[in-house]
Amino acid sequence: MIGQRLGIALVVLSCAAAGGAPILAPHGVNDHFDALLNAPPTLPHVQDDGGGWHAPFIYPWRLADQLEQRYEQDRSVRVPLLWLRGGRFVASADEQQSPLLLLGADSFGRDVFSRLLFGARTSLSLSLVAAFGAMIIGCAIGGIAGYAGGLTDDLLMRASDFVIVLPAMYVALALRSVLPLVLEPRTVFVLLAAIFAIVGAPFIARGVRAIVRTERRLDYAVAAASLGAGHLRLLGRHLLPAGRGFVAVEITMLIPAFIVAEATLSYVGLGFPEPIASWGTMLHDASNIRAFADFPWLLSPAAAMFALVLGLNLVVQDRRPERWH
Amino acid sequence: MLLAAGVAIGAAVMIGVRRMPPAPAATPATLAGRGGDLVVSMRTEPASFNRLTRRDASTELVSILTQAKLVRVNRASQAVEPWLATSWTRSADGLHYTLALRPDVAFSDGQPFTADDVVFSFAAAYDDRTSSVLADSLQANGRKLTVAALDAHTVVVTFPEPFGPGVRILDNLPIFPRHKLQAALAAGTLARAWDLKTPPAEIAGLGPFVLSEYLPGQRLVFVRNPKYFLRDDRGTPLPYLDRITVEIIPDQNAEMLALEAGQTDMTTDAMRPEDYAPLHRAADAGRVRLLDLGVSYDADSLWFNLKPGAFAQDPRASWIQRDELRRAISMAVDRKRFADTVFLGAGVPVFGPETPANREWFSADVPQTPYDPAGARALVASIAGGQSPRFTLLTQKGRTSLERGSAIIRDELQKIGVVVDVVPLDGNALIQRFVSGAGYDAIYFRAAATDTDPALTPDFWFSFGSAHMWNIAEKTPATQWEREIDTLMAKQIASSDLQERKRLFVEVQRIFAEHQPAVYFAAPRVFVASSSRVVNNAPALIRPQLLWAPDRVAVAGAARPTH
Amino acid sequence: MLSYLARRLIFAVFLVFAVSSASLVLVRLAPGDYATESLGIAAHADTAAQTRRRFGLDRPFAEQYRDWIVRAVHLDFGRSMAYDRPVSDLIPERAANTAVLAFTALAMATLIGLPLGIITGSRRSGLLPDLIRIVSVTLLSMPPLLTSLFLVFLAARTGWLPIGGMGGSPDAAGGRFLDVVRHLVIPAAALAMPLAAMFERMQSQAMSETIGQPFVMAALARGVPRSRVVWRGALKAALRPVTSIYGLVIGTLLSGSFAVEMITSWPGLGRLMLDALRARDVYLVAGCAAAGSVFLAAGTLVSDAALALVDPRAAE
Repeated sequence: MIGQRLGIALVVLSCAAAGGAPILAPHGVNDHFDALLNAPPTLPHVQDDGGGWHAPFIYPWRLADQLEQRYEQDRSVRVPLLWLRGGRFVASADEQQSPLLLLGADSFGRDVFSRLLFGARTSLSLSLVAAFGAMIIGCAIGGIAGYAGGLTDDLLMRASDFVIVLPAMYVALALRSVLPLVLEPRTVFVLLAAIFAIVGAPFIARGVRAIVRTERRLDYAVAAASLGAGHLRLLGRHLLPAGRGFVAVEITMLIPAFIVAEATLSYVGLGFPEPIASWGTMLHDASNIRAFADFPWLLSPAAAMFALVLGLNLVVQDRRPERWH
Repeated sequence: MLLAAGVAIGAAVMIGVRRMPPAPAATPATLAGRGGDLVVSMRTEPASFNRLTRRDASTELVSILTQAKLVRVNRASQAVEPWLATSWTRSADGLHYTLALRPDVAFSDGQPFTADDVVFSFAAAYDDRTSSVLADSLQANGRKLTVAALDAHTVVVTFPEPFGPGVRILDNLPIFPRHKLQAALAAGTLARAWDLKTPPAEIAGLGPFVLSEYLPGQRLVFVRNPKYFLRDDRGTPLPYLDRITVEIIPDQNAEMLALEAGQTDMTTDAMRPEDYAPLHRAADAGRVRLLDLGVSYDADSLWFNLKPGAFAQDPRASWIQRDELRRAISMAVDRKRFADTVFLGAGVPVFGPETPANREWFSADVPQTPYDPAGARALVASIAGGQSPRFTLLTQKGRTSLERGSAIIRDELQKIGVVVDVVPLDGNALIQRFVSGAGYDAIYFRAAATDTDPALTPDFWFSFGSAHMWNIAEKTPATQWEREIDTLMAKQIASSDLQERKRLFVEVQRIFAEHQPAVYFAAPRVFVASSSRVVNNAPALIRPQLLWAPDRVAVAGAARPTH
Repeated sequence: MLSYLARRLIFAVFLVFAVSSASLVLVRLAPGDYATESLGIAAHADTAAQTRRRFGLDRPFAEQYRDWIVRAVHLDFGRSMAYDRPVSDLIPERAANTAVLAFTALAMATLIGLPLGIITGSRRSGLLPDLIRIVSVTLLSMPPLLTSLFLVFLAARTGWLPIGGMGGSPDAAGGRFLDVVRHLVIPAAALAMPLAAMFERMQSQAMSETIGQPFVMAALARGVPRSRVVWRGALKAALRPVTSIYGLVIGTLLSGSFAVEMITSWPGLGRLMLDALRARDVYLVAGCAAAGSVFLAAGTLVSDAALALVDPRAAE
């Protein structure tokens, strides 16, 4: 299955990028270049204007208009790239004046490529953990509600409705006010993962409940029950697996939603402290007309998210539907 | 004559813009035709049509369009101009001002305007049950003014003590129609009057426009007030425009796109530095006119919690409230780099609360802190007593200049060995912590001044003031230098000799610079843009920059095509 | 059936009550109140105190809450502080605007997303399913803020469509109705695009699972034409997952979207809620949350009914 292999490759690539960030990223997460705010990417060249061939090099950017943030390429200078030096995979030979900006710079003059790699760590781990949590809670609630039916079903489903309608922003605000002012990134991670898992669970619960409800009445389930299978065994071994496909698709949709939601919660102060990078806040900062018109490289986290979500989708979609009964 | 002055200043400002396309800007004001309509965008809806109870920018705009005052401070020239009052005299003791009111003026509903309406407006602003937000800005040295009607067209305003700015303070009071609101004041329900459900016809005013339609969440439409009393110097009745439509566009990006695409004519606020480039392109294409108004009156500032005892249980108490720490911070920040990063180069370094824009009250004689990171490091080391200094800096989330500014402060202070934890909060949470006085170390924020005359911003300067950020509403001055500032400011306010007032104020600024209770870094240049058909702009540095005198704004050419 | 409806109704009432009460408590817990919001950082302490007194914010919370409940029973949900109008006045006005947007977007998403999902789910490979899949994934990985901003940006640059607002001015070309339709395109598209992608993904998964099931295999083996099996037999069973979340979708759509309504200046419930949240407008927050829970309760009822229709086995 080409699709599935491609999918796995994309997911693995995302995770590898996140894991290898300290080596692969040419710059630290907070390295900034004041003369290069929103500077365009410095693409590596191998051929100069005269047609001569060289080891990969870059042309530096020079500020042409500060207020408009226009830059001109200085074609007279070739800055060679240094490989495997100082613990970095690749970097420019003149880091101070003409840094290697593979995906340009953001509005603080920070390297978008490096932040994208470091941001992958935050965003991937947070969204995966939160999605896993949402799956566990959602399946448990949906499974029990669908299996038990009646009052239990009603209570559980209304509780999940309650979570959906409750203004989550206020929960975050209220939480923020009782927490200490300075939060450790670890605390923020746990908090956000817990909030997302709880907020995401009802969506999974609803679908799982519908599936379990139906499956419960099918011949195989009735047969299993009459053979003396316990409730837990019936639910866990026979009924919940029927919702596998649904849950998998839900998760592929929750992951990008969580990545984006992280930026929303940082708006009420419940985000990762600066200068920790995340795809959500990077995209939020890029939500500006100038990103479309002049600085498209600021949207690269969206491209990264696309690659990740496509990968997940391919993995899920191309799984041959298994026979579970 | 005053109009001519306004236009001259407007023209001077326009010349400052680089590569201005030849545009109808050159049209002399007097040639501007009467008629036409204007579409303006605003990000928030007014909270009420009642300026007595609301001070948000949108309610203020409604008031600017529909109400008139006794005098008007020309926001472009900072001069006090007659409006409903044609002239005034001051008594020998400086306490009584006798104002002659313009005769034959009527409210938009036809009722005549008399001295009773002025007396009523004061009563409304000072009414306890209304708890008007206007009351705060109508105080001379913390005490109320009194007003009496001599006859139908003469009022006497009495100050509790000599007051330097004089009638300038009357620019803070719109005149309300007694015949419409008297009953509400008597019943104690004035705060509820003129809410957003009020039919527009009920809202009578003396201003150049009247509200004709309000569509919640969408737009407000104002049409010419045919009863408006001013004429331009050719005798043309004002306002020039037939109609002003205020579109509510909550997102600033969408607001800029609408302006660029010609769907609106102007915004009611200054633009962000990052909007400069696209609007400049639109200006080059002749679609909009871009105005560089120069340096802003206000700058963001950093202040520490200087309330005595705020750090009593804190090991940092030995250094966190010391003058040396703030001086070190002031020395550690490269203000040039600050302006370059935060305002993309469109800003100037500032060293105190008055920016060079305030030509009357800014003084170059006030000492300016040099950039000296080595000195700053030594200074911090000398007070820290072996501790490694660390503090939290609260700032508001979502405001670019604050977020960027605090990031730079964090970076620069790291270089001198001070760790700053920047904590962005939502505005409300920030204010809550600030007001409680105990919940913060330091704040980076902008508290915009309401007037350029320091005597009209007493809440900032006096130790009892509510805008005395570092230690609000002190019962008695906590420090000797605050006591000195209090004394100097009291003298400054009471004096009516402008030169003496300036001298005293330089003295105040000196003391401020020495102790730097609030540290200032850079002030932005203010840019505004309007569609190229808008003429007669005498842009001001404060909101609404292009619309503070809506009666004089005009459009060139025919009525705008509907889109 | 009647007792089932009655039970649902009781639960719905309880949900509305719980959600609005919880909102009241949360607003109270959040730092700051309407006085700090409206007066700003330099407010006089007396003015702030007077403002609190005027809106009753100085009273103990238990008392405020009791009053609110007593009034809510009489369908008086208090007065918005920020807008100085009764909450029961403000919400229907904005909810109607959001409903126009929500149903347009829902119709667009359903009509586009479901058929595409059936196509991608019933066919394993090919250029068309791959293309659809890639577009869906793109839409799902774009934050709504960015999607709406991009559409508004396109509208501004091309000049084809108005940038914001709801239109409806009677003197516009083509009349009132056409003007609203023109203004509706951008916000509805911004809402519908990710929704259509979501429907497509879910339907696709369900479809491919159903086709692998014995009854479909059997039908195919019996020689029933493939298209007939897909569009009649398999479709009905595969509608289950989408139907089960359809109610949620209706409920959340009717509560309005912050991002889309902000960027496209649509005067709906989402924007009202956001303003209320920012302003700490207690009763308006509670009112908006209550409205949201009513919509959700109605939505889930509809979707459970639809579920029973699609799949009678799921009914009680």
